[in-house]
Amino acid sequence: MQDFVSTRRLFLQRGMALLAVTPTIPTFLDQTVIGLLQQNDGSRVQAPTGKDGKILVVVQLSGGNDGLNTVSPYADDVYRRARGNLAHAADRVHKLNNYLGLAPNLPYFKELYDQGRMSVINGVGYPNPNRSHFRSMDIWHSAYPEKEVVTSGWLGRFFDNTCVGNDPHVGVSIGEQLPLSMKGERISPLAFERAESYRYTGKDAERYKDLNHDDAMVSAAAPSTRPVGAGRVVAGPKKKAEPVTSGAQLDFLHRTAMDAQVSSDDILRMTKQFAPAGQYPNTEFGNGLRTIAAMIAGGLPTRVYYVSLGGFDTHANQAPRHAQLMQELNNGIQAFWTDIRKQENEERVLMMSFSEFGRRVDVNASSGTDHGAAAPMFLMGPRVKAGLAGRHPSLTDLDQGDLKFSTDFRNVYATVLQNWLDTPSRPILGQQFATMNLVKG
Amino acid sequence: MARPLHPQLLPFITSEGDAWDDLKAAHLLQRAGFGGTPAELAKVRQMGMEKAVDWLLDFPEAPIDEIQPGGGPDLSSIEGYPKNFNEQRKLFQGKTDQERMRLRQELQRGNREAMGKTMGWWMERMANGPYPMHEKLVLFWHGHFTTGAQEERRASLMWQQNELHRRMAAGNFREYVRQISRDPAMLDYLNNSQNKKEHPNENYARELMELFTLGRDQYTENDIKEAARAFTGWAHDGDEYIFRARDHDAGVKTFQGRTGNFNGDDVIEIILQNKACAPYIAGRLWNYFAFEPAEGDKEMLESLGNVMRENGWEMRPLLRTLLTSRAFYSPRAMGTQIKSPIQLVVGTVRMLDLDFPAFRLLHSQLNQMGQVPLAPPNVKGWPGGRLWINTSTLFVRYNTGVWLTGGEIPALIASRRGGAERTVKRADRREAEQNGGVVLRPEIAALDTPEQVADYWVRRLIQRPVEAEKIKTLAASLGGNAKNEAAVKKMIQLIVSMPDYQLC
Repeated sequence: MQDFVSTRRLFLQRGMALLAVTPTIPTFLDQTVIGLLQQNDGSRVQAPTGKDGKILVVVQLSGGNDGLNTVSPYADDVYRRARGNLAHAADRVHKLNNYLGLAPNLPYFKELYDQGRMSVINGVGYPNPNRSHFRSMDIWHSAYPEKEVVTSGWLGRFFDNTCVGNDPHVGVSIGEQLPLSMKGERISPLAFERAESYRYTGKDAERYKDLNHDDAMVSAAAPSTRPVGAGRVVAGPKKKAEPVTSGAQLDFLHRTAMDAQVSSDDILRMTKQFAPAGQYPNTEFGNGLRTIAAMIAGGLPTRVYYVSLGGFDTHANQAPRHAQLMQELNNGIQAFWTDIRKQENEERVLMMSFSEFGRRVDVNASSGTDHGAAAPMFLMGPRVKAGLAGRHPSLTDLDQGDLKFSTDFRNVYATVLQNWLDTPSRPILGQQFATMNLVKG
Repeated sequence: MARPLHPQLLPFITSEGDAWDDLKAAHLLQRAGFGGTPAELAKVRQMGMEKAVDWLLDFPEAPIDEIQPGGGPDLSSIEGYPKNFNEQRKLFQGKTDQERMRLRQELQRGNREAMGKTMGWWMERMANGPYPMHEKLVLFWHGHFTTGAQEERRASLMWQQNELHRRMAAGNFREYVRQISRDPAMLDYLNNSQNKKEHPNENYARELMELFTLGRDQYTENDIKEAARAFTGWAHDGDEYIFRARDHDAGVKTFQGRTGNFNGDDVIEIILQNKACAPYIAGRLWNYFAFEPAEGDKEMLESLGNVMRENGWEMRPLLRTLLTSRAFYSPRAMGTQIKSPIQLVVGTVRMLDLDFPAFRLLHSQLNQMGQVPLAPPNVKGWPGGRLWINTSTLFVRYNTGVWLTGGEIPALIASRRGGAERTVKRADRREAEQNGGVVLRPEIAALDTPEQVADYWVRRLIQRPVEAEKIKTLAASLGGNAKNEAAVKKMIQLIVSMPDYQLC
């Protein structure tokens, strides 16, 4: 199999003996070895083969996706009246029941639904909804609606709490910057826009490697890539804080550089070797999903992948734009699952979509919709308890013109954490939220 | 009476084997600026420490329009924009919904453009302006009294705040806190605009104490509630601070053990009297300029804080003490700081005397490295230190360095390799192609051997000794020809791709 995997296995087999004689192995590998020797709960550590751990793929719909035109109450007169020309006609939606139907451009979603591979969770939101994109996105990312200052996200805290060692590959986000949701206090997952840019682009790559490789580095005394003063360590002995010297900083940088090189080589190889079976849209979103499928195929030991589709802030002339976005979403996800199924990785993958808010019930004067509140979430995968979940909000009992939420998003997070990622949700979400019946046992 | 300084804060005195040398001059210029040019290095070395520090701290306490009339950013895209609520109302009066929508979008577009211009202007001033220490302080305060361009969309307010930082950068801390508490962008960012007698909003009161002046554990939740009441009615109308008496809670408050009919200024005064305040600010500055303080540095920071208190909260004496102290030139400080992305970019441009790159392209690189000016991630500002570095950001830092020193533009490389031409923004592509990369002007005339050339550029860029093995590798990259300009350029690209270059 892949070098990356076999290298990891090699380290795991030889353990500490290897550490002693190989001073320059990347930090996240030796940290993992140390971690495995110290761990007390092996079930939470991604298995070294990269083939048997569960994977969560998060799809973020940025800008506030119009929930009512994604999962439409087509049979409701209030919907028709409120939305006027924007309302999907009853004969064009993909009917889920005699009240709700999927947007006309989501035929693959309907397929998944009929196959028992998709759950539609209606009316998801949180108390006192915020209508600012940034603030509301922060709330979904941090899962702390009441806190103004948040420096970590729910997935970041999942990594902090459950992943031993410092392997950045526990999470991979496609995009310029790591989203808040993936930021931990201790672990810093990978983030890149394109796999092709996750590498050194200078001309003299050989000498670059020489200059970033330090033979003299002694592993026993080497610093970890754990940031100094960056929160508690879950595993491993507590070290006394020592003043940081220039040499220690250089060692840290050398080791990160070597980690980066190994990681970059692996990911580039995986994406290059990957021959997709699915037809991905030629967009950032499509490329992101293709890259994720490649990394899953390559056996990267990643628990959470993150990808975004933007442009949902449809204040004016919404119909053509939203239709196009639904199509891109549909086609991207179809291509992704086609590949995952072909790879026989389907059973390992759960996909979850969300947006920072839905949109106002009434259409505005520019044939668009303004920022709203509650909206549906999708969960996809063969292990999903398929069907409709959550109560669809009333179109007449509104809060300042917006739908009232019936399911707190943190109930969904708690479910994904406990029933899919097999980890207690309370330490991550700050309190115990009831889980929902969304994942098959 | 002035108390004696902590021993670590006594002036560094030249002694045998520990002279005022190139290393220390370079250290001072890196930390109290963005890295020295050869001319500045020679000057500071020759001046000696005391004079050099005085020189660096000698900048006018004034906004740009006074220092250099018309020298500010190009804000023409927001010219004539409404300056207050009344103007705003008039502008929208009698318009249809459609027209209003279009107008709003137009205003937004202008603001976005002006915001970008301000960011680019500021970085260019750091790189080429006359007072690097001034801008270094503005950057510090921007990350301390934080406001983010993600939330504050009005470019005029972000620019106004930037000028406030410039006016107060090394001034009086008491006055600074009073002014930042009235700054419109701040009033928006921490919701004091919504802090009203009937519905107090505690956000500003909390951060004022937790992040801006005292640090944790110095106040109670009740102190926050009472302080918030004191700040009710502090609001702004467009670009101007206003006090809305109607929204102000004039009742009696109990704050930090004292009772009275306090307003915001009274609360600030009581905070300043808390013994934790001066050492807290001293610690923040110490962390930014010298190194991350440890538990054992408590007394040193108290002593440094006293320097500010004893000088009536004037900050220049504190800064002077900091930059001349023994601890500042100790091994804990020298070469131990991981450059912030802004330090990395500005320093590269400055030390190599490069043309400042198109900000449009730079923005994406800065975003990937985790530091866009005017846009800190949250109210805590930028985390810094080792948190700047991970396997993703390290590549971006290296690749940005390579680009600035004449290599290819990262966005274009990515698009070519990925076959995803469409994903590169068209405007970026156009700009990049016109720009054609940055021109480097290497000075290689007087150097004979490849080792000399390598040594020269390491001294110029890293400004600290590196392993002999690395010099050999760099020299070898020249292929035996010390005079080959193209090869020298490539060698410089290797230097900025070294771990050593990430530190200052």
